[in-house]
Parts: sequence; structure tokens; C-alpha cells
Amino acid sequence: MRAAEAVGGMLRGLLRHNETWLAILIVVLSAAITIANPAFLTYENVAGFLKSCSMVGIMAVGVLIVLILSGSPDVSFTAIAQVVEYAVAVATLQWGGNIYLALAAAAAMGVLMGLVNGAIVHWFRVPTIIVTIATFNIYFGMLYVITHGKLINLVHPMFHDFGNTLLFSRVSSIGASYGLSLMTLVWLGTVLLGWFILRKTFLGRSVFAIGGNEVAAERLGIAMLRTRLFAFGLVGLLSGVAAVVHLSIVQAVVPNIIVGKELEVIAAVVLGGASVFGGKGTALGAALGVLLFAILNNGLTLLNVSSYWYNVTIGVVITVAITNSAYQALRHRRARVHVKVEP
Amino acid sequence: MIPAFLKRPSANRTLAGVLVAIVVLMSALNPQRFPAIGNLISMSYQLPIIAFLSLGMMVAMVSGGINLAIIATANFTGIVMALVLRAVAGDAAEEAGAGVALLAMGGGLAAALAVGAVMGWLIAYVEVPAILTTLAMMTLLNGVNLVITKGYTLSGFPEFLLGVGNGMLGPVPIPFLILVAVVAGMAVFLRRTRTGLSLYLLGSNPIAAGYSNLHVRAVLVRTYALSSTFAALTAFIMVGQLNSVKANYAESYLLVSVLACFLGGVDPFGGTGTLTGMVLAMVILQVVSTGVNLLRMDPFFIQALWGLIILVLIAAGFLGERLREARRLRTARLAQQAAPASTVGTGP
Repeated sequence: MRAAEAVGGMLRGLLRHNETWLAILIVVLSAAITIANPAFLTYENVAGFLKSCSMVGIMAVGVLIVLILSGSPDVSFTAIAQVVEYAVAVATLQWGGNIYLALAAAAAMGVLMGLVNGAIVHWFRVPTIIVTIATFNIYFGMLYVITHGKLINLVHPMFHDFGNTLLFSRVSSIGASYGLSLMTLVWLGTVLLGWFILRKTFLGRSVFAIGGNEVAAERLGIAMLRTRLFAFGLVGLLSGVAAVVHLSIVQAVVPNIIVGKELEVIAAVVLGGASVFGGKGTALGAALGVLLFAILNNGLTLLNVSSYWYNVTIGVVITVAITNSAYQALRHRRARVHVKVEP
Repeated sequence: MIPAFLKRPSANRTLAGVLVAIVVLMSALNPQRFPAIGNLISMSYQLPIIAFLSLGMMVAMVSGGINLAIIATANFTGIVMALVLRAVAGDAAEEAGAGVALLAMGGGLAAALAVGAVMGWLIAYVEVPAILTTLAMMTLLNGVNLVITKGYTLSGFPEFLLGVGNGMLGPVPIPFLILVAVVAGMAVFLRRTRTGLSLYLLGSNPIAAGYSNLHVRAVLVRTYALSSTFAALTAFIMVGQLNSVKANYAESYLLVSVLACFLGGVDPFGGTGTLTGMVLAMVILQVVSTGVNLLRMDPFFIQALWGLIILVLIAAGFLGERLREARRLRTARLAQQAAPASTVGTGP
């Protein structure tokens, strides 16, 4: 009897978490797609969509941390990634090098551009979204001014090698090899890093503190500048890494291909339970949000749904998910209001 | 008659100064083409689109929210208009009379209002944050627009609608006249009506507004319906000027409309923002974009310039605030030194 109660309590506790709802949604959706087309739940297909969403997944971790910190989304990260991608592609063609060097250079460039955002947000006390709209335009505009929007069709072969590294690879019936991509592991590594920073480090706790109540955090003596620079630098770093991952998957540079994805990434993060008012969010949630979008995208393709319907479906899913989480929060609040206080 | 906002130092006076400076700068850089009647007319053609989008963004922001779906709503309105036209007039849509055109506009407006009401309901009654609701609605409408149009451009609108977007009344473009009328209406709405005033109360403190017996939820629903009405107005002008609709026209204006609000002094957290500031901001944006266009600059350079302008304004606003604060402190200290006896109780 007591065991049953404990299990019930645990379930109720779990259902309070946004991640649980999201996981349920993912399972139901996967089951439905698999019933319609058994090809969905095969190693090859799952590995495929886990690879293709790795760039968005990596960015989502950075976006999450800034959203928790400032309660206002960063929108410049796609422009940062776009600039880094172009620069890295050109630089490696020019000077060669290896993938570690490319990753380090990309990360450094990203950090630099992110720090600019952080410094402006800190010193001028302006909402993140305003500052990052500005820097988005500057970064992206200057990229086009300098490059004239020229495509790069041929990139250094090391990106091909990096992007096609497989773990647990198998060979399909038509002779193509498939398996868990290294890109997916980079994404998972980023999620772990995000979890570690947010849950286990002082900087991460400071991010939550500032997001929860800026004034209180400042009076508590939390290093505002250091924390802000850290968070914005991290978004930049992850955008840089995401750029190399994207470059390795696509092996070409179209200078406006990453730009325009910012709202999708933000939506995935928010779907994962991050509060748009700051102070709340988890790395697991952000990863699940990205995963949900990837499954939807892949599922619609497998179900032969015209790509026109993609946005409609995404829109419906986002609407349902945010309405549900807002409704749960509302119920929670209402329940709290009715607590009787003894005189 | 000097408008009140020019008489004493204020954000709007600074904006007016910036506007004058930019006009002078552009005229100096391009003396032949910028300060010309033809250019003035072409600017007053283009201004209404950016203006209506910015005003729609403004009402949402003053209430403490944001409307990211505004462009998608405008495109949706245009597409619904095209559908109504096709349903009523069939292939002869181009020859349709004013009645049919008005019917199409009514249909479009109804669609926009429905979108606004749904968003307002979600924000007010389910308490979904505005940024999420409108983001979701944007994605949904973009999808619906794409499904309806299949990515094609629908064209061929009746004469009457083209007149709304392109016509002239004497030397003045009709869209500009519509804008003037709408701005006048907004001035009355924001200052003299209950909903208009409630908007500011709600934006500055929703909890206090609720305790002051304000029907917060109803005001919110009306806010988003109004914001969508501006999207519909944009659509009317856009359809008239382009003679076509598409799933993703004017998408780049979304951030520009946020920028216009920021420039116009609307607090992104709600509660403040004047119509005067908005009008000045819209005109500044239009002058800058026309001016640099006439100089045949790279459009992407212009985009970078937008970003730079925001940053400069942010820095200027911050420094101005600091200076004012320092001056205030100094005056207070001087007053204290001059009359120590009269300031009992206000010492350090």
C-alpha cells in the first residue's frame, strides 16, 4: 500500500516536470510514426536524424544558458555561427591545418563575438534581445559586405573526414555505411557540459541566481560581469563549434543557411521548459526539445507529407506544448493560492 | 506653436535632433537627389508599411508583451484577401469593383482579428508568455501561408486595392494619408480611451492593474486584436503596392519593427512609450534607409549600419542617463551645502 503511494507520489512529482511531458510526447509521436512507417525506428534512420539535428542541439545549450541568465533570448548566435563557418572554411582552404586547430579557432572566434554581446548587455544595461538584434545585423551584414555572399562549394577534406566519422558503423544493403555520427557525440558532450555547468558549478548557480532575481543576486555579491561574460562567451563558443559541425555535415558554405534558424532553436529550448522570464531551465529539456523537432521533421518526411506542412505541424506542436506547460503552471499557482493560513 | 516635447530636454527632443541631423547629413551627401520632391513622395509611399508594423509592435510592447507574429499575420491577411477575391470574382478578380475589393479587405481584417483574438486569449486566459504565443502563431501562420500558396506568388488584384496602395490624392500618396489618419486615431485612442490608458497601466504593473479593478484579460485580448489590425492595415497597403501576395513577404521587417519601438522609447518590459517617439523613430528609419539606398550602398552594409545605429543609441542613452544622474546629484549636494539648516533630516 505504502509502496503504491510512493510510486504515485513519484509519478505526480515526475509529471510536474516539463521534461516528463516532453518525453511522453516524444514516445507517443515516435510510436505513431513507427506504426505508420516501420522504417522510422531503425538504427540507420535514428542515427541519421540524430546527426542532422546536432548543430541545432549544440546551439540550444548556449541559448539555454543565456535565456536562464537574462530572461531574454540571444538572437545573434546564428549570425556568429555563420561568420565563423565562413571564416573557418576560407582559412582552412588557405592555410590547411587540422580539425582540432579549426575547432579551436572557431571556438575562439565565437567567444570573441559572444563577449561583445555580454559586455554591451552588462555595461549598458539593455535587454539581451535588443543588443543581439543589433549585433546580429552587424555580424551578418558585414559577412555579406566582405564576401559578397559568394558560395563556397569546395571545402578542406578534413571536414569531410570529421563529419563522416562513425561509431558502431554498419553497412546497409546497398553498400553505404551508417552508424552513430561523431557529430551526435559532440552534441551529447555539449549537453553534458551544459548540465555540469548549470548544476555543478558556482558559475552555473550564479546564472540561475541572476536570472531569478538580478537585484538580489547583485546584493548577494555575485560577480555580475564575470557571470555575464561567461554565459555570452559560452554561447559564442558553442556557436563556433556548431559552425564546424555544420560545415562538416554539409561540406559547403551557403552564407545564409544557418541564419534564420534562431527562432527554431529558441523554440526548442523553451519547449524544453526554460522560462522566457529567466531563472529556469535544464540542459536535458533543451536536448529533448531539439529531439522533438528532429523527430517531427524526419517523421513528416517518412510519412510522405509535403514539406509545406512542416511549419504547420511545428506550429501546432509548439502551441500545444506551451499551452500545456502554461496551463500546468497556472493550476499549480491556483492550487497554491487556496492554502489556508492559520491565524 | 512649439510642440510640448521640444520645449524641455526629453528623449523625444533628442530623437527630433537626430532626425534633423540625419536629414541634413543625407542632403549634404546627396544634394541632387535626397532633398527633392520626388524623393519625398517616394518616402511617403514607403513609410506606411514600416509604420503600421511598428505601431502594431508598439501596442503589444506597451502592454508588456511582444507580437512576433505580426509579419506572418500581415501575409495571412493578404492571402485571405486573395482567396476571398477568387471565391467571389473567380478569374475576373482584376476587373472586380470596389464592393468586391472591400469585401476582400473585410475578409482579411476578420482573419487578422481572429488571429489576434486567439493570441490574446492564450496570453490573457491561459497565461502563456506573449513571446511564446506569438512565436508559435508565427510558425503556424507561416506554415498555413505556405500550404495555401504552395510557395507561389498570387497576383492580380482589383483596381480599387491598387489605388489604396499606389494612388495619389493631389500630390500626396493615399497610403500616407491613411497613415496620418491612423496616427491621429491612435493619439486619441492612447490618451483618451479607457482601453488605451489601461494598456499603459497594465504594462507598467499588471498586478497593480488587476487590483485596481481593471479587466486585465479583456484589455490583453483587445491589445492583440489591435496589434493584428495593424498587420491587416500593412497587408492592405502591401497588396496594393506589390499587386501580389506571398507566404513570406517582408520577413526582414520583423526586427526592424522591434528596432523602431526601441528607438521610439518603448520600454521592452512594458508601460512606457509615446506615439510622438514612435513617429519620429519611424521617420528616422525611413530617412536612413532611403538615404543610404540613394547613395547606392550595399544593402547588407545598410543592415550592418542598422545594428551599429542601435548600439550607438544604446550607448548614447546610457551616457545621457549617467550625465543627468551626475548633474542631479551635484545640484542636490550644492543645495545642501548652501542651506544646511533648512535640510534637517535629509543629511547623509
